[in-house]
Amino acid sequence: MAGVIAAAMLLLALLIGSMMIGSTTITPGTVWDALFNPSANIDHFAIRDFRLPRTFVGLSVGIALGLSGALIQALTRNSLADPGILGVHAGASFAVTVAVGMLGVRGIESYMWFAFAGALLVTLMVLALGSTRQGQSPVVMVLAGVCIGAVLGGFREALQLGNPDAFDAMRSWNAGSILGRPLDVLWPILPFFAAGIILAFAVSGPLNAMALGDDLAQSHGVKLTRARVLSVIAITLLAGGATAIAGPIGFVGLMVPHVARWIVGPDQRWIFAYSALLAPSLLLASDILGRVVMRPGEMPVGIITAFVGAPVLIALARRRRVSGL
Amino acid sequence: MTDGRIVSPRRMPLGHSRVLGRFDGRTALVCAVVTVVITILAVLALMTGSYQLAPGQVISALAGGETGIVHEIVVEWRLPRVVAAVVFGAALGVSGAIFQSMLRNPLADPGLIGFSDGSYTGALVVLLFIDGTYLQLAGGALLGGVGTAVLVYLIAFRRGIQGFRLIVVGIGVSAMLASTNTWLILKADLDQAMSASAWNAGSLNGISWEQVLGGGVSIVLLLAVALMLSRPMRQMELGDDVAMSHGVRVGQIRLGLILVGVALTATVTAASGPIAFISLVAPQIGRRLARTAGITLPPAAFVGALLCLSADYVAQHVAPNPLPVGIITVMLGGGYLGWLLFTEARRRL
Amino acid sequence: MSIQHFCTSRPAFIRTGLAAVALIGIASAVSAQETRTIEAANGSIEIPAAPQRIATLGNTTLPFIDLGGTPIAVTAESDSDVSRLPQEQQAVYQAATILAASADEVDMEKLASLAPDLILVQVPGGEFEQIRQQLEAIAPTVFYSLDTEWKALADGIADAANTTEALSAQKAEFATRLADIQQKYGDLIADTSFVDVNRWSSSDPGTFAIADIGCSEIGRDEVGIDYPEAPEGADPLAWTSYSFEQLGELAQYDVITYPVGADGEPTEPFVPVVETNTWQALPAVASGHAIGLFCPGNNSYGAVLQYLASLDAALATLPAAE
Repeated sequence: MAGVIAAAMLLLALLIGSMMIGSTTITPGTVWDALFNPSANIDHFAIRDFRLPRTFVGLSVGIALGLSGALIQALTRNSLADPGILGVHAGASFAVTVAVGMLGVRGIESYMWFAFAGALLVTLMVLALGSTRQGQSPVVMVLAGVCIGAVLGGFREALQLGNPDAFDAMRSWNAGSILGRPLDVLWPILPFFAAGIILAFAVSGPLNAMALGDDLAQSHGVKLTRARVLSVIAITLLAGGATAIAGPIGFVGLMVPHVARWIVGPDQRWIFAYSALLAPSLLLASDILGRVVMRPGEMPVGIITAFVGAPVLIALARRRRVSGL
Repeated sequence: MTDGRIVSPRRMPLGHSRVLGRFDGRTALVCAVVTVVITILAVLALMTGSYQLAPGQVISALAGGETGIVHEIVVEWRLPRVVAAVVFGAALGVSGAIFQSMLRNPLADPGLIGFSDGSYTGALVVLLFIDGTYLQLAGGALLGGVGTAVLVYLIAFRRGIQGFRLIVVGIGVSAMLASTNTWLILKADLDQAMSASAWNAGSLNGISWEQVLGGGVSIVLLLAVALMLSRPMRQMELGDDVAMSHGVRVGQIRLGLILVGVALTATVTAASGPIAFISLVAPQIGRRLARTAGITLPPAAFVGALLCLSADYVAQHVAPNPLPVGIITVMLGGGYLGWLLFTEARRRL
Repeated sequence: MSIQHFCTSRPAFIRTGLAAVALIGIASAVSAQETRTIEAANGSIEIPAAPQRIATLGNTTLPFIDLGGTPIAVTAESDSDVSRLPQEQQAVYQAATILAASADEVDMEKLASLAPDLILVQVPGGEFEQIRQQLEAIAPTVFYSLDTEWKALADGIADAANTTEALSAQKAEFATRLADIQQKYGDLIADTSFVDVNRWSSSDPGTFAIADIGCSEIGRDEVGIDYPEAPEGADPLAWTSYSFEQLGELAQYDVITYPVGADGEPTEPFVPVVETNTWQALPAVASGHAIGLFCPGNNSYGAVLQYLASLDAALATLPAAE
């Protein structure tokens, strides 16, 4: 419990930091005024129009990435699984490439829905391919994800290499960023996130039972098919929504639940709770770093997450007695 | 990037039996048939292209009887490309066979320890910062890939190498390099970024004799070494103990196999960019065609050559402009996995 | 690669072929139509005196079309660049065979089958070295390195492609236009601080850049506009992505210039900047000191002339009471 409080404090500190620290220096008093006593001056605009949205987006996208990663690792019983393996990123970037390259769509507000729809469609295909008469097999789903991902990836690359405009727009989308997403972009995705979060905690109990083996879980009254389908739906809503808003941000969904498991052991409910707190922390910390590391310029958060997260992962891997599941 | 690493080896249907296969008649037959198909495809590839040439012109060019642009197209453009597809494909097939046999995992490849992302970083640095020549590009890719693999190995080494730790470190280092690559592409001039991206897709477009010969010689040497190691490799598939009881020096052979496998992939990557999935697919198709118990090298080599050649033929003819061959092999790999899904995995799970 | 290595490492029949090529090559050069020799980054090149079928790869396409040329084959330009061209130039571009998105992915057989008699190339040096042998086997190839300044590139292309008359006309118009702007706005430009703000389709959402390359370089170097500039040897300022919260810092400049299309409206990637509260609250914007400039290109006289025309028109709208 103390650990959860500590993680919550860390997240809170980073939320405040995300409001305070930026490429322009604005005093804490001005930040306070901008939030609670706003007027039409440039510093207040900077806080309300830019820092506040990116902090909110970072918080929600971070929670979604962390939870979807924890879900996929529990579902596949593979502690190195990443939400991307069900085809979320492949579907989203394929759809956005088609939108940009063939339909001439521009702007994050429009990319968003293509990305979400692409992620949704591909994961549903993966779910369908992974379903047999005996129920869903996570291994087959993963293989189906890799398979569809490869085919779509080939098409996507062919499209991009033949179309300089699509390539140009996609290389920025690909980096993954929480900047420049006004709150209007976030609102429509929030209900999906909420549904995903509720589903995630609802299946955490059954997933705990399933970790001991399908037979044992069934004997405890767990409905395997329902638990797996609900998990996949939750992953799609969370990871698909996150990708729709921020582009493909890698590593957060892989690393945070992995580290959470090292901290709290195998209980999914705790892993989920920690992931929901640590993932937005990692994302916000990376974003803050992205504002200062190349000052006065900025670096997209998707580039930084790996550099913040990977050394932690590697250090833990060297220090601890690690084991696969 | 392939996400092959997440599939747990224990749960994959492999089909290794406990019987030590020999180089039997069926394997020889398969190799012979594949060779015939390769020859037919090679002739087709030499005969067709965007520049219309009569079969007679092609034959006379090959015999040295043509000059000017006809000679140039057949002997300097089409021929090295065909040779490259065959040699590089064989190299990738063998490299994949080695890794799959050794790790007993049909999805294993050197990308696991950061090779692919590292070689792309090396290539990007050469392309974007020093505007290097072809040789520098090959060197940069090689240095980046091998350097990363060694770095991952060293970081993961702590009183010995543990598989899981190696994979975690590999993922971490790869993720940082992949981020670096995304950043470099994002900041590069559009034309240069697209060139680099085409390189990273794996392309035989515009390959010259210079490139083929440089890579080809080392590949042939490496293939010879691989063949010498193939017998102990098959014995090691049965387990280290069994192999040792047959007098195999397991440690040395394993190190030798790793080096040869990495060197083969590295050579191809340096010459043409990373051509995906052939190393994954060829050994498996070879094994099924030859109906051998485990992975054997010759079928993997021949099937790899065939796959690469046909993929390159498709890449040149499917779109209005030629595509990098790697785009076709990626889709091929996806199709193969789909097939695996419906035949084997479904039946067993 | 040494020629010895080349020969010894391949079968004898190829060697015979090579020898034959060498002989024929000499023979045809003597008997061919009238040629002349020009100097380029890849050496002295013998080219047709009046080339008829020209292929342009990399950055040579738009300058060549701007000089009134009609390329038979080109590498792809981005849609946004093409859309900023005058109608007739767009038609010329679209009539050409589009080979590939980048020069090193060109289908050389397709290019050869189009039988060009001259190939003009401006790509990174390393990329050119990869395709050099193939291009030179197809037709005389003239290479311009990436650091060729735009005026020198226009000179080179006009010389090689035999369009020097069109170039002289453009140069004269350029000189007149420049003198006119300096005469009208010389004083204004001298004691006003400017900043050129831009966004491109590859810019990360929520970021903008302070442009010091492209048309702003022409504004600075040719017209004398006081634009911020990167220190000698450093990366261009335009490579830095500033987040929108830094838009407020543009308040320190008297005049802000930003990119607009031919219709005078902000370019599509720039629209998000204009829509921010911060932009609208900037003193320069509120007081009419933010002016849109149309930049259809920065490496040919025709494009630069259009930029100067838009600069002329935009400066005229600045409130007089300075």
